[in-house]
Amino acid sequence: MASAPPLLELRDLSASYGHVQALKPTSLTVAEGELVTILGPNGAGKSTLLRAVTRLTPGTGQILFQGRDVSRLATHRLSELGIIMVQEGRGLFSQMTVRENLILGGYNAGGDRVLLEARLQQVFDLFPRLKERVDQLSSSMSGGEQQMLAIGRALMAGPKLLMLDEPSLGLAPRVAAEIIATLGELNCSGLGILLVEQKAPLALRLAKRVYVLSLGRVAVELPANEIGSHHDLARYYLH
Amino acid sequence: MIDAVQLAQNLVNGFGLGLIYGLIGIGFCVIYNASGIVNFAQGVFVMLGGMVCHTLLSRLGLPISAAAVLTIPVVAVIGILMEILIVRPMWNRGASTFAIILATLATQMLIEQITLLTLGDQPRTYDSFTAGGPLKLGGVAISYQLFWVLGFGTLMVAGLWLFFTRSRMGRALRACSQNAEAAALLGIPVKRMLLASFALSAALGAIAGILVTPSQITAYNVGTPYGVNGFIAAIIGGFGSASGAVAGGLLLGILQAFAIVAFGAGFKNVAALTVLLIVLLVFPNGIFAGVKSLWARRT
Ligand SMILES: Nc1ncnc2c1ncn2[C@@H]1O[C@H](COP(=O)(O)OP(=O)(O)O)[C@@H](O)[C@H]1O
Ligand SMILES: [Mg+2]
Repeated sequence: MASAPPLLELRDLSASYGHVQALKPTSLTVAEGELVTILGPNGAGKSTLLRAVTRLTPGTGQILFQGRDVSRLATHRLSELGIIMVQEGRGLFSQMTVRENLILGGYNAGGDRVLLEARLQQVFDLFPRLKERVDQLSSSMSGGEQQMLAIGRALMAGPKLLMLDEPSLGLAPRVAAEIIATLGELNCSGLGILLVEQKAPLALRLAKRVYVLSLGRVAVELPANEIGSHHDLARYYLH
Repeated sequence: MIDAVQLAQNLVNGFGLGLIYGLIGIGFCVIYNASGIVNFAQGVFVMLGGMVCHTLLSRLGLPISAAAVLTIPVVAVIGILMEILIVRPMWNRGASTFAIILATLATQMLIEQITLLTLGDQPRTYDSFTAGGPLKLGGVAISYQLFWVLGFGTLMVAGLWLFFTRSRMGRALRACSQNAEAAALLGIPVKRMLLASFALSAALGAIAGILVTPSQITAYNVGTPYGVNGFIAAIIGGFGSASGAVAGGLLLGILQAFAIVAFGAGFKNVAALTVLLIVLLVFPNGIFAGVKSLWARRT
């Protein structure tokens, strides 16, 4: 039996801003149900990688999703297929309420009220805090709550692959831990996750594999549990 | 001495015209909120509303209801063509918002000239939707058309409010204006939304033009004054909600009425532009946002 194609496979994906190639040709895979972490210092090209996958920034190279070449599809078409990204800085609709943000997350459901209501319940079960604040403007919430909303909104879209760009940035360690734990739960229920962080001692406990990005290219790819035995990496990314 | 009856008459006229300015202002807000573009061709949709409706009435002999219902989609299609032929190619090539705004201004002149060449330069008008009138209150005459304007204005504001807060598409339009990238990531086709905003905005302009023509005249060149006053109404209202634009329009219409009574008809536009400058200087986010934030600072 042929093994199933990976959920996401990038083949020599690169992207430039003007003349600067911020992402050098990069290849990586995320298997079905896998949680993969991408680490790297500020400016390494992590956001550019995610933006190239979602085609917010045009790139060259191949993007395969469940074996299908989706390299030429527009951002909203990729979203319909189930590639959902939580942007750096969360990208909330700041002048809308929590409820409106969530409902917009379910845009792909095409106005199917039953489906929307079911997804809304799941999000509220995962983040009860959002239910309490449902009629509040998203911009009036704390950073942690905003990140929960950003993730909740992404879940409303029915993702097959959830990509997150530094979700713990700017959050208190306890709140960040809570959010990373939730991602772990989601992964346990079968959701493929590509998690980008600068440093991620917590995420590394959940991840099976890690890519370390440096100066726009993959410097190292290794199983997450081996990062401790690389002293230079461990010193930088685990503490 | 200012004559009280004359003042009241001018206020009634100013109220009616101000309502129209507000409706035109809503059209500006719809496109601006979906894209950040100020469509300076908004006035031609108003002009076309009156001109197309007049042409259907006079050439085909249609009743006003049928002519109005046909005019709205015709003008909406012109809005769609404008987006496809001018705005979208520029947008796709990464033109600056400023360049696109200039292009809308050029489009305004182009459509005016095409209208001049095809329909001529004769000013024209048509009868009020309901015969009879005006209603006399003391010495003040209130035309029946004012009630049509009032009725449709209320319907449009309520309808748009429902559309933008309750419908999937209206919400998606607002999402595009607040964060286009986030909207695209959630599956919202941002470019199609821009197209929809031009169609909606053109339709709104057409409705304003159809409503105002019986009490004013229409001609190939009325788009500019309507556009400018609608733009001022939108600015006063803070370029946000439909009700803000209508309130801005009413304020503008009434101020113009005072200016006419106090200084003569020639001062109508001076008053409008003075209001615009004062609002821009004192309340750069619109009077209503300005008042709200003053209020917030006090409490
Ligand atoms: N919009 C942009 N225009 C020009 N250069 C950019 C832009 N965004 C990012 N860069 C550059 O690309 C490189 C990678 O940035 P980024 O992908 O944001 O890194 P990271 O997310 O890992 O911090 C950096 O050198 C950054 O300065
Ligand atoms: Mg980044």
